[in-house]
Amino acid sequence: MPLKCNLAATMALACTASFLVLSAQPGAAFEVVGGKNYVVWGGRTPPSNFDPAQKFDAPHHLFDSNIYEPLVKYKGDPAKIVPWIAASWTNSPDGKVWTFKLDPKAKFQNGDPVDAEAVKYSFSRQLTVNKGVAWMLSPILKPENIKVVDAGTVEFTLDRPSPSFIGYIPWWMIVNPKQIEPNVKDNDQGQEWMMTHTAGSGPFAIKSFKQDATYVLEARDDYWKGWPQGDKHFGGVIYQVIREPSAQRTALITKHADIVEGLTTADYQQVKNTPGITIENNVGASPFAIKFNYVNGPTADVNLRKAIAYAFDYSALPELYNGDATLMTSPFPSAVQGHIDVPDIPHQDLAKAKEYLAKTKWPKGGLTLEYVSQQGNDETRRVGLVLLSSLKPLGIDVKLTPKLWANMVADAQKPETAPNMTGLFTATYSVDPDSTASQYDKSAWGQWFGVSHYNDEKVFDLIEKGKTEMDWSKREPIYAEIQKELTDDQPEVFSYTPNVRLAHRDYVKGYEYCPVEMSGFADLQSLWIDQ
Amino acid sequence: MSEASAIEATATSADASENPRGVWREARRALWLLSRSFSSVVGLVIVAIFLVLAILGPYIVPYPGASTGNVDMSSMLLPPSMEHWFGTDDMGNDIFSRVVIGTRISLQIGLTITLGAAVIGVPLGIFSGYLGGNVRRVIMAFTDLFLALPSLVLAIPIVTVLGPGVTNATIALAIVWWPGYVRLVDSKALSLSKEPFVEAARAMGASTLRIVFRYMLPNCTSPLIVKASLDMGAAILAAAGLGFIGLGAKAPSPEWGAMLSVARGYLPTWWWFAVFPGLAIYVSVLGFNLLGDGLRDIFDPRTTSQ
Amino acid sequence: MLVFYLLRRIGVLCTMLFGLLCITFVIANVAPGDPAALAAGPNANPSMIETIRQEYGLDKPLPEQFVTYVSDILRGNLGRSISTSEPVAQQVATALPNSVELVLFAMAFAVVVGISLGVLSAVCRDTVIDHAVRLFSVSGIALPMFWFGLLLQLVFAVGLGWLPVSGRLGLVTTPPEPITHLLIVDALLRGQWSTAWEAFTYLLMPAFVLSFPTLASICRLTRAEMIETLSSDYVLGARAQGLGNYSIRIRHALRNAMLPVLAVIGLYYGWTLGGTALVETVFDWPGLGLLAVNSALMSDFKPVMAVTLIIGFNVMLANFIVDIAYAVLDPRLRRA
Repeated sequence: MPLKCNLAATMALACTASFLVLSAQPGAAFEVVGGKNYVVWGGRTPPSNFDPAQKFDAPHHLFDSNIYEPLVKYKGDPAKIVPWIAASWTNSPDGKVWTFKLDPKAKFQNGDPVDAEAVKYSFSRQLTVNKGVAWMLSPILKPENIKVVDAGTVEFTLDRPSPSFIGYIPWWMIVNPKQIEPNVKDNDQGQEWMMTHTAGSGPFAIKSFKQDATYVLEARDDYWKGWPQGDKHFGGVIYQVIREPSAQRTALITKHADIVEGLTTADYQQVKNTPGITIENNVGASPFAIKFNYVNGPTADVNLRKAIAYAFDYSALPELYNGDATLMTSPFPSAVQGHIDVPDIPHQDLAKAKEYLAKTKWPKGGLTLEYVSQQGNDETRRVGLVLLSSLKPLGIDVKLTPKLWANMVADAQKPETAPNMTGLFTATYSVDPDSTASQYDKSAWGQWFGVSHYNDEKVFDLIEKGKTEMDWSKREPIYAEIQKELTDDQPEVFSYTPNVRLAHRDYVKGYEYCPVEMSGFADLQSLWIDQ
Repeated sequence: MSEASAIEATATSADASENPRGVWREARRALWLLSRSFSSVVGLVIVAIFLVLAILGPYIVPYPGASTGNVDMSSMLLPPSMEHWFGTDDMGNDIFSRVVIGTRISLQIGLTITLGAAVIGVPLGIFSGYLGGNVRRVIMAFTDLFLALPSLVLAIPIVTVLGPGVTNATIALAIVWWPGYVRLVDSKALSLSKEPFVEAARAMGASTLRIVFRYMLPNCTSPLIVKASLDMGAAILAAAGLGFIGLGAKAPSPEWGAMLSVARGYLPTWWWFAVFPGLAIYVSVLGFNLLGDGLRDIFDPRTTSQ
Repeated sequence: MLVFYLLRRIGVLCTMLFGLLCITFVIANVAPGDPAALAAGPNANPSMIETIRQEYGLDKPLPEQFVTYVSDILRGNLGRSISTSEPVAQQVATALPNSVELVLFAMAFAVVVGISLGVLSAVCRDTVIDHAVRLFSVSGIALPMFWFGLLLQLVFAVGLGWLPVSGRLGLVTTPPEPITHLLIVDALLRGQWSTAWEAFTYLLMPAFVLSFPTLASICRLTRAEMIETLSSDYVLGARAQGLGNYSIRIRHALRNAMLPVLAVIGLYYGWTLGGTALVETVFDWPGLGLLAVNSALMSDFKPVMAVTLIIGFNVMLANFIVDIAYAVLDPRLRRA
């Protein structure tokens, strides 16, 4: 059966593409079919399915968020929550009951209205499938507590008050139960069918695809929310898998691709001066940190952690990105609400580092620490080299160990197996500070971002307080205190956020940056081509 | 007892390696033969140079800190110059120094793989060829199984399992490298076990171990040396290949393949970063191959191409 | 008896295949790291990881997993890739024809050019040509393929712009509708000449690089065999019979020299297949080698094991065919 699908898709693609070739214009990658522009997006990884409930990472999110839509969306920089399928929403004063009024115009691509039933179905389906973004709401939302008030109103009753609830809603996509239900097999919530089919309301639909190679998205002229740029919107997008950064670079320079994501810093440096190429370059919200093992080994000693944090050569970090990185001024990235500049966040100061080291069991150094980073990531490898070089004056040797992601996840589960230091990027999926603060909570133990096994009852209490407090004027000081406490305890070297970069030909217009979006993402709905 | 030693004496009189003067004479003859072939001399010289670099490398390079993880962002990615003969890399380190210091790592890896493979393969081959029968059948079945799999195709999953790194890459390659030695030694041992002096020793009641170490092993030496020399080159190449894929040596180790793997992302603008480590792999492997060919011509005149 | 020989060889082949299955299974199952955690993705909580573990059958005891593994493979089910959740069989089916195309072209090139150069070298023994060819063949084995590939890219693609840097086909070019799934063959069969030519330009560099070590070895072997047969009594006898130089060299010597070369083709086939891991990585060629390397870097074992299995099976089959062909040609071997 999949073979047949594949064959049909291939044939469809072959027909489309032969059209494309016949009507190709010289000098640009984008193709014109029936007067519409199809742009070529060079992506590094192919999506494995089009089911928003199954996978949540860069390539899948690009597809899911352009085929499907959430109740509310993040837009702009700084990120703001704007109405989307939901025209408005309210919450009870205690923050437990959230009511969404749906936009009556909202329609699925097959013409069905997007109603409360569909919203309820989509949220319960996501929670039952228990993959993708399920972790965001599964601790506070049970499927049976989603209520259809009427066709245009849906009500969520949470297990406990949660001001951060709304901050996660932009990642929860609404699917059409009428299309999925007939294709459910063995109680799989239609997961098998959704690998290759879609049931969304978004501005784009899958036209054809060839697994691992090309995925063609077609814009819908009758899209219910309309197009901001009018008739100039894309006719479609050809997502072309180009795995090698160097091949992506070549494709962009030779105009075989209009937009490419996933270039390395070296590549950006090389294409920067090529005429006709624009590089979007914005302050990101995915902080990189060197996380210490907080309970086991030498790094359990706060003075050693401080010594390392003061010895670290922060000035080398932006250099790794040719200047396109921003040093952290707090444990929280600047895109998060309630972010403060912590005044005494460590900066390189060798005298101070030696002072702290003198208070440890190793006043003269003479110990070796392990630094683990993800295999194949050029920047984290180089951060390791900076660390190695920074700690030499303290007499601390660093053993650099690149590891496969799966092994890093496995090692992070227990303090006994967690390495002395782990270099990690964490993502920011919500502007609500709770999502960032929770990464330092007890509940993070055992998960990859909880590799530190950070343990401070006072901070845990503050996190718990902030989680349920509905009044922002009371929440704000809580998070300021959390940031200061974290800086004091130094469970990690707070280092930098890399800029989010995207390279495209200069005729592609309308790119809107939003710091909580993933890197390698663009809202295709807002883009257009200026000839 | 006396009869046994008499047989031993006759057996070893033909075997020059037992006699110190004979060894010396043999070596001189080999060197003389080697010097008559231009390509072998080239191979010998290359191998000698790399051996010297492997021993003295860290003490004679202009920037000894280049391989131990120094960072100098101000001199990042400089082109070749009088100051930096091969240019500098992404952390501002001198590539010439790193390539020279890397010699020791590559030679060590090559040697470990070759020795490891020989340690596994030679005993198996000897017992297989000498004992014959079912033992041989089982050993050779295993050998053929491993021989059927191209070395990298089996090494990649093993390294993935063990985790990337120089040690694990070396272990993985040694695990897949031994079958060649079993084949070589097995056929040699098979023919040797029918030789009159071995038959005689066995008839005199010499133990299996004694026969193996006294009569069989010394007679396998010359093909083993040839194979080991050729394998040194092949092993360096395979280890560099794993490093290039990203499963070999780790930063800041100046292993050539790993350097190339990083440098690849900096092509074409910063070409020197990739060109020189690759050149080092090429020349060193060439050296061992030329030397191996030369040795084969000496030890095994039948395949002499001159 | 040829039939008995054939049956015995088939028995050996089956035993080896079973051994291969055992090897791949053992390697895959001593892996540290948690494949379920990988599949669940970052941010997954323990219950989500557990969901995946059950879905992929990773919670069952090992012997049970092995039985499932073997019976699945027999039914052509290679499992699902944990990083892309695609069926591995499909990944392999897409990658295999690309590798076959690359390997076949590289082998053909290596055999034709290798034998020609070898003969040339033997005939012009001890001349400048001979020395040049020998230098070339010695260096061919020593050349690191990945580095050589990068250099060719620098010179012919980036510098001169004659050939594309990497990939299988231009981004905008439509692949021909599959018949054999070999891109160039299909394009020719469909009469799409420009597509065939384009596919050929993409194939040229990787195939050349991949063929290099094999070419060099074949060249050396041919030269040695030619020299031996040329000086054998048999050829000297033919010369005494008054046959001309040209005729002696081509008809007698070459035919005799060919047999040992053909005998090692199976081995070289294995080498070439093994080399695809490096060459396909350099040239971003969507074949089995690239599939294995990419999956290995993501700790996704099923595709890696499938590739090891397929390549192992291929080499065993090739050796089997060579054995049988030999037994047909030379009955003495049947007793071996």
